[in-house]
Amino acid sequence: MEQPAKSILLSFFKAAQLQSEQQAYFLNLWKEYTFKQNELITEAGRIEKHFYVVLEGVQAIYLLNQKGDKVVLGFSYMGSPSGIFDSFLHQKPADTFLEALKPSRLLGISRSDYLSLFEAHPDFHKWGHLFFQDILFGRLFREVELLTLSAEERYTAFMQRCPEALKVIPQKYLASYLNMKPETFSRLRRMMN
Amino acid sequence: MAKLLLTPENQIQRLNTILNRVEALQALSISQLSTPPNPKSWNVLEVLEHLTIAYSSYQTKIENALLEVADSPNGAWQYQPRAWQRLVIKGQKPKGNKRPFKLKTLKKFEPLLSPTLTKDEAQAVFKRFQTAHGMFKQQVLASRNKRMKHKRFSSAIGPIVTFYLPEAFEFLICHAERHMIQIEGILAA
Repeated sequence: MEQPAKSILLSFFKAAQLQSEQQAYFLNLWKEYTFKQNELITEAGRIEKHFYVVLEGVQAIYLLNQKGDKVVLGFSYMGSPSGIFDSFLHQKPADTFLEALKPSRLLGISRSDYLSLFEAHPDFHKWGHLFFQDILFGRLFREVELLTLSAEERYTAFMQRCPEALKVIPQKYLASYLNMKPETFSRLRRMMN
Repeated sequence: MAKLLLTPENQIQRLNTILNRVEALQALSISQLSTPPNPKSWNVLEVLEHLTIAYSSYQTKIENALLEVADSPNGAWQYQPRAWQRLVIKGQKPKGNKRPFKLKTLKKFEPLLSPTLTKDEAQAVFKRFQTAHGMFKQQVLASRNKRMKHKRFSSAIGPIVTFYLPEAFEFLICHAERHMIQIEGILAA
């Protein structure tokens, strides 16, 4: 594994406080996967095989509503986790798709190796606690934004905190994530610029 | 039906649902798989064999159409089927848990299986289905980021119905979904 990839991975799992001899074992469990732009990484209806950490690219997680439209639930990008966690953990078919919106490189770990980390290194529970706490608070924060802010406020709040990588993906994904029509998103973008 | 908008993601999700159900059927006993609800009906294995034949009858047509289509700069396609094709698809599409109406099967699509299959032979039926279904799904995936511009091709029942790729995909998926309902009926009988 190349040094930048190692750094991203170890930084993501900082809370596990891995000692140098543990790091070698840990790094060996990960394999790199590459995906072309617009390639499906995980399909709805199949079981998620990996927990990913993103090295490069942007990915979207979405489901299809009753009309068949994509409803974007979130994005992943360099340094962030990716994958369909409920499917990965419970080994049940995913309800959502994970798609590479840009050419992507991801490091993935299998479920059995992921679970072995918690058995072999108790400090991983600390990481797990913080990780799922962050996810929960993030989802709560997003729910509050969706329920209480106007479209304009949602747009402004998102643009202030969103990483640069997300600003170059097709507008329809960002619009869906912010629960607005692409035309509204486009109008707000023009207005704000 | 007027608003029927086809997308590869929707089709892939439904194909996965079918595959998961068929995988679960593999756990059933040979008696459950090979007993029809009445002497004139198919058993579960015959339904699966029929689906394999249906997939196979479109494989080359779809493959040839895929050779014609070019990459799309706009990502995955979205497609509204034409009026006549919409009607044909509607004839297959289940309504909830019910098949719209019974259709007579053409002779070439009839499964020719022995009524007394061994466990290995039953597994071979599953294997053939999974291969044909898997190849079909790969074709849907291969079409995903292409422009749906190609010569129309005849359906398996002849030139009275012609298809563009998304229409053929939808027709075959609705056909398979229809038969999955039939399987549930056979097992419940």
